[in-house]
Amino acid sequence: MGYQVSREAADRVFEQLGQDYDVFAPKVFAGEGCFSDTDVIRYGKVNTLDEIEWERRSDYSFKEVLLAVNETLFYFTENETTVPSCGEKKILIFLKSCDLHALKKLDTIYLENGPEDFYYKRLREKASFVLMGCSETCENGFCASMGTNRSEDYDLYLRLSGETVSIDCKDPDLQAYFEKEDGKACDVTPGYVTENAEKVTLPKNLSVDSFAKPIWEEYGSRCIGCGRCNFVCPTCTCFTMQDILYRDNENVGERRRVWASCQVDGYTEIAGGVDFRKTQGERMRFKVMHKIYDFEKRFGYPMCVGCGRCDTVCPEYISYASLIDKLAKEEA
Amino acid sequence: MKNEYIPFPSQVKEIIQHTDIEYTFRMSFSGDVKPGQFFEVSIPKYGEAPISVSGIGKDTIDLTIRKVGKVTNKIFGHYEGNTLLIRGPYGNGFDVEKFKGREVVVIAGGTGLSPVKGIVDYFARHPEDAVQTTLIAGFRSPGDILFKEDFKDWEKTIKVIKTVDSAPEGYDGLIGMVTKYIPDLPLTDIPNTVFITVGPPVMIKFTIMEILKRNVPEENIWISHERKMCCGLGKCGHCKMDGTYICLDGPVFNYAEGKDLID
Amino acid sequence: MGLDINTKKAKKNAFRIGKVRGEGASRIRVPGGYLKAEILGLVQEIAEKYGNGIVHLTTRQGFEIEGIRLEDMDAINEMLQPIIELLDINQENRGTGYPASGTRNVCACIGNNVCPFANYDTSQFAKRIEKEIFPNDLHFKIALTGCPNDCGKVRLHDFGIIGMTMPQYDPSRCVSCKACIKGCKSLSVDALRMENYKIIRDEEKCIGCGVCVTKCPTRAFTRSKKKYYKLTLMGRTGKRNPRLGEDFLLWTDEDTIVKIILNTYRFVKEYIDPKAPGGKEHIGYIIDRVGFAEYKKWALEGVGLLPETKMKECVYWNGVHFDR
Repeated sequence: MGYQVSREAADRVFEQLGQDYDVFAPKVFAGEGCFSDTDVIRYGKVNTLDEIEWERRSDYSFKEVLLAVNETLFYFTENETTVPSCGEKKILIFLKSCDLHALKKLDTIYLENGPEDFYYKRLREKASFVLMGCSETCENGFCASMGTNRSEDYDLYLRLSGETVSIDCKDPDLQAYFEKEDGKACDVTPGYVTENAEKVTLPKNLSVDSFAKPIWEEYGSRCIGCGRCNFVCPTCTCFTMQDILYRDNENVGERRRVWASCQVDGYTEIAGGVDFRKTQGERMRFKVMHKIYDFEKRFGYPMCVGCGRCDTVCPEYISYASLIDKLAKEEA
Repeated sequence: MKNEYIPFPSQVKEIIQHTDIEYTFRMSFSGDVKPGQFFEVSIPKYGEAPISVSGIGKDTIDLTIRKVGKVTNKIFGHYEGNTLLIRGPYGNGFDVEKFKGREVVVIAGGTGLSPVKGIVDYFARHPEDAVQTTLIAGFRSPGDILFKEDFKDWEKTIKVIKTVDSAPEGYDGLIGMVTKYIPDLPLTDIPNTVFITVGPPVMIKFTIMEILKRNVPEENIWISHERKMCCGLGKCGHCKMDGTYICLDGPVFNYAEGKDLID
Repeated sequence: MGLDINTKKAKKNAFRIGKVRGEGASRIRVPGGYLKAEILGLVQEIAEKYGNGIVHLTTRQGFEIEGIRLEDMDAINEMLQPIIELLDINQENRGTGYPASGTRNVCACIGNNVCPFANYDTSQFAKRIEKEIFPNDLHFKIALTGCPNDCGKVRLHDFGIIGMTMPQYDPSRCVSCKACIKGCKSLSVDALRMENYKIIRDEEKCIGCGVCVTKCPTRAFTRSKKKYYKLTLMGRTGKRNPRLGEDFLLWTDEDTIVKIILNTYRFVKEYIDPKAPGGKEHIGYIIDRVGFAEYKKWALEGVGLLPETKMKECVYWNGVHFDR
């Protein structure tokens, strides 16, 4: 059960929300794409509904709101550490269904795999999620195949249509902001796609024997190891630790964690020069098997949400979707 | 809520230099710790590194650290009395109880000796707890030999084969890979013998091939996987092999389970 | 009666007088080498009706319709009219063909419509320059290229325009993957290094090619909002002293380039050798004669350079000298 308010009323509510929440949503960053005169859609702070990109899928996912690309864990002097505080405001994140499903995978790693992660948790606890519906399938997405095309786990659903805004609110805290406005009760169901152009079947009989398949080298030989697929992925969560020593005083500095990619050189390299996965083929196999095999083996559900970003971003036109579909066909 | 990333200061009680680049730091630590577990150690001017516990004393732990890159001798040689920031212990470690009352063979290569040194120490101090204990320790060259003082103690109570891959002329010790000594090991009760092997991946691979040739059951073999680890907390992803996080589920594995772990 | 043709007028009207008596070629300028495909059909029609069915793709990105009879020039000019209009070429009288040919077609590489390396839309800028300078009888050669790869070979022209971007670096998005450093080293000038896990760009060395931006997997490196250009001067081919154009302005903008080109026309009018054969003297030789300092004074008349622009106070050329 939801209701409709006027666009004006929604703008007022949004302004009110801004007092208590930092709002993050996909935004168009004009001219900041990879190539000249191209844009990039990624997450940023927004102050009005107009700043939000409602239709197109973001090139980079929402994950950077909860897991900063660079996160300072603490500042240190020789023996003391200071943890940076994180703002007072609560967080509101606009996202699409595929990304809302990805949230569960982030939670799995950061809250369930080993001890709870202090930094993730302190943001996660104050984050609420606003679902943006999808009116049509995005390029390369295969959410329907992965069952991530719908989600009910939102705190708020918003749909803009001309002068009216349809709302379905499940969170009492957020509800309070809307109650001040006159709303017309009506059924509001989030828009979702039922079919994608890409249809992907997951292989069902993968095992450690699948590690020896020639397909990994086939695709690996095309890969340049840039890591774009990992960085745009809403479920990739790896990081590397970095100690920064300040130039003017080398005994003082900070420790950061920074996004890492299993496709980029150095990911498995240890002191002494041993590198456990040297070839791009091995790295490709590691990534793909994690997404569709071993994550599920450990946690009970597959990792990939089928958002298709990795396919869209790959400069070498490697289609992960096509790769896993081929794996499934090899089984048939 | 506990912030697992925050290290705590630990006092450097003593520094023992083994080679030009390898040192053992004896650090203050009170708490439960097992051989094969590791600490994340903040090495000044380098960053955090996972370091296996190479000795466990009363209120101390030993951390054997290899000096790398920009880290200078100055820091390494002159840190006694100072503190280092550490966190841990992490990982499962070896359970010495499982090895008691059996023949125990420990095969270690290079710094791989660190994680098993606690086991060797234990059986060297309590030789009666094992039917027989053998250590085969391999190093690249005589200059790379670690724990020289400890070897002298061990040789008193357990069987020790200390070998180097190659040596200059005139070296009077054993020369050869660790694998060379496995076929002729005098073992009385193979189905009851425990093998523990740690070292570089290639060494582990060939060592296990030799062990299996002697019809040792897979579940009698224990290995420890050294992998890149940034967090030790199951988050950073670097140490994962298949669905297993080495930092959480390892680094010690029974070979029957660990053999399927492919990088 | 013999064929009575004013060849000077015909040449100015963009016809070539060929080696076969009574025959020539019709030259069609295509600014930026950018055209709607329908123009190809119009060119074909002329070539088949008045020419020998052959069209040469010129070195300056135009068409040259071969084997036309010189007496057909007026009829051909009629047929050229839709082409001239589709390409938006400045013209004085409709149906009379091209009003000048001294200032050559403005060439461009394919630019950022297609090429991932290009830093701007080369053909659009080429068209803007064409609108500003044509028609003109003075012998000017101008070319544009999207990036310092210089596929447009702009350094062989009087004015070479090379696209640049000022890399914008957001350290908070940088993951220290070194893709930019590797890219800059292998494809460009090795102007990047890492310190404390972040990138330091050698601003003196950086040529603004944008490789770091295309290599960056996280959008830590992006292009500047403003488009920048390098302007090279007075490259040339020819018999006496062929040479590459030399850098004059780095990190300059479109307006400045257009102003300098227009100023150069004034300079040439002032200093061109009145006895030059066919009123044609390469600008470079004029500058050689009167000195770069004098040229610079004229070129920069009324020009306000951007604060970030770097200007070469003096420009020296080498090249091959066959005249000494």
